Amino acid sequence: MIDFGRVQKELQECSRDMAASGIKVSPKSDNLARLVGTIPGPIGTPYEGGTFQIDISLPDGYPFEPPKMQFATKVWHPNISSQSGAICLDILKDQWSPALTLKTALLSVQALLSAPEPDDPQDAVVAQQYIRENQTFLATARYWTESFAKASSLGVEEKVQRLVEMGFAEAHVRSALEAVGGDENLALEKLCSG
Amino acid sequence: MEDGMSSDEDYYSDRDSLDGLENEDSEFHCTPPKGPTTKVITKESLLAAQREDLRRVMDLLSLREHHARTLLIYYRWDVERLFAVLVEKGKDFLFDQAGVTVVEHQGLESPLGSTITCDICMDDVPSGETTREDCGHCFCNNCWTEHFMVKINEGQSRRIRCMAHKCNAICDEAVVRNLVSKRHPDMAEKFERFLLESYIEDNKRVKWCPSTPHCGNAIRIEDDEFCEVECSCGMQFCFSCLSEAHSPCSCLMWELWAKKCRDESETVNWITAHTKPCPKCHKPVEKNGGCNLVSCICGQAFCWLCGGATGRDHTWSSISGHSCGRYKAEREKKSERAKRDHYRYMHYYNRYRAHTDSFKQESKLKEIIQVRVSITEERDSRLRDFSWVNNGLLRLFRSRRVLSYSYPFAFYMFGDELFNDEMTKEEREIKQHLFEDQQQQLEGNVEKLSKFLEEPFDQYSEDKVMEIRMQVINLSVITDTLCQKVYECIENDLLGSLQYGNHNIAPYKSKGIEKASELTACWKANDSDKYPPSDCGASELDRPSGSGSSDESGCSSRKRARKDSPGGGLFDLNLPAEVIDRN
Repeated sequence: MIDFGRVQKELQECSRDMAASGIKVSPKSDNLARLVGTIPGPIGTPYEGGTFQIDISLPDGYPFEPPKMQFATKVWHPNISSQSGAICLDILKDQWSPALTLKTALLSVQALLSAPEPDDPQDAVVAQQYIRENQTFLATARYWTESFAKASSLGVEEKVQRLVEMGFAEAHVRSALEAVGGDENLALEKLCSG
Repeated sequence: MEDGMSSDEDYYSDRDSLDGLENEDSEFHCTPPKGPTTKVITKESLLAAQREDLRRVMDLLSLREHHARTLLIYYRWDVERLFAVLVEKGKDFLFDQAGVTVVEHQGLESPLGSTITCDICMDDVPSGETTREDCGHCFCNNCWTEHFMVKINEGQSRRIRCMAHKCNAICDEAVVRNLVSKRHPDMAEKFERFLLESYIEDNKRVKWCPSTPHCGNAIRIEDDEFCEVECSCGMQFCFSCLSEAHSPCSCLMWELWAKKCRDESETVNWITAHTKPCPKCHKPVEKNGGCNLVSCICGQAFCWLCGGATGRDHTWSSISGHSCGRYKAEREKKSERAKRDHYRYMHYYNRYRAHTDSFKQESKLKEIIQVRVSITEERDSRLRDFSWVNNGLLRLFRSRRVLSYSYPFAFYMFGDELFNDEMTKEEREIKQHLFEDQQQQLEGNVEKLSKFLEEPFDQYSEDKVMEIRMQVINLSVITDTLCQKVYECIENDLLGSLQYGNHNIAPYKSKGIEKASELTACWKANDSDKYPPSDCGASELDRPSGSGSSDESGCSSRKRARKDSPGGGLFDLNLPAEVIDRN
């Protein structure tokens, strides 16, 4: 069984120093097993200025088993799948320790954004680009950050406008876009399915 | 590997001098033989089996048992490597790598009655309900227990690390045992078993017996992993690849061969496998006896190996000149490659099969011979000792085995599947001739031995029995020597000269596949592995017979020695392992 007492304490702790760390963890519903983490893109990286959402689901053995984390926001990074958002990070696998918390895990994910490890890639295409055409990589990563990780970015405004023109309410459009990490097609699907 | 090589050489040099005429100096070779050093490890003796390794590490490093076990698990029970790391890199490195911390943290103990905040559940817990590991990290017992449970369920029992982030220390097994057994006794048992079985699973010297249904035993070898062993359940297997004992085939050759036989068997029907057409009446003939001279019901005699008709002149004394075991390359160029390959395969397969079948037929001889022995014993005869017939039979079985596996070996050695790049066509031909000469000689003598052993000696006069006895003893020695030579040829001239391929075979064991002996729990730790008690007993028994200790000699002129110490000599090549064990 998940130790909900500890999860509660972790959430309190996290919200207490949110201003300092910039890291936010909030429950997705009233069930504490599914949460959403938010990390700011590290300064001085192509992810700067973006806000990245990470889906967290806690296994029954938490904190003795690692939490499952996956990027909900699309991100261009050698160790993160550009398709699924899966993260390749040792502390989320065999290096997990029960002494780590959701906050420390998210901090590690944030650190991963600053320091990619192309030799141990999750996304081979991105890793190749990172090694061979670093300039292209930086541009793509920046473009993806602009397009998907910035709610207020121009790209998003255009998407909102296009979707509104299709006849959806603007509030719904915005929440749908946010929920799917800015992907216009996924947002449309979500809006259509109600 | 080097050890294995040098011991092989020793062995050969022993043999060489024995085969020679001057045996007077054989006293020099009176070192105790490398007796059964392989051990059967049962569920009960598993702890005792690892005790010695643990003891060595504990004594040298003055460690507690659980630390020694942690080190050994990390170094895969390779004590030599562990010691080498210790010498090269030092104790700290050794401990650090394996996650062993032997620092005392007494100063850190909190006073009784105080509370500690457990960093895992983030609750305040009375210090009495917390546990501090050797590494100094302290968490509450509930969290420790949960952590242990998860790790045991993940199959990580052998290396449960401390819960603190980046702490590499391995948890004390006593702590795991205590905490887990309070809440989940069944899991504690599981943990215990996993921990003990590390000695089998993480140890290249120990492997589970491959018997099905599984006998529950494991086998431990001492030095060379290329060897063949017999478990106490009767299963004989190659320690290296765990399939049936297949030397002088290498593991790869055997794997390919077994697969090939499985695949081809669908096209080769039972008739081709089990019968041969009579060269005269063309009826399929099934062999019902061990020797390879077959008589069809129509009266025609023919050679089972080549299927060729033989006249009445084809006696067993002339089979040694019978060269049908040689593979004759298809002369007609017109036959396409596939057909040639198939013929080639069938050539080797049929011979392999013939010897395997002979072996099966001959296995029945054992009982028949027992009956014959008891009949002869009842007669008032001066013949009292019948070990020659049993020893001869065992020699026949062993040589038959070597012979049958020598065919798949030759199939791959001289085929173009494995070693095409290793030798030129000419080289290959020369080597093939060399090998086939040896094989032929062995084959001829094995057949002779088989023929003599099938004689109904209980119906013969004493003189005739004595003559058969002499023949059997002679042929036993000869076939043993020839088997040895076949192995030498394979190891030195054929496989030994390979440049790219790496093929190793289990060394020839004159006494047959080594039976692993039971590991006794009271086995003294300082008893050298090489001279287990059972063997010392055997050699001591033999020593008083003095000159008799060289009675094995390959020459028939030595037979008188056999009368003195029948089947008891130290170097008796015909002595089955069982007899030694009994001694």
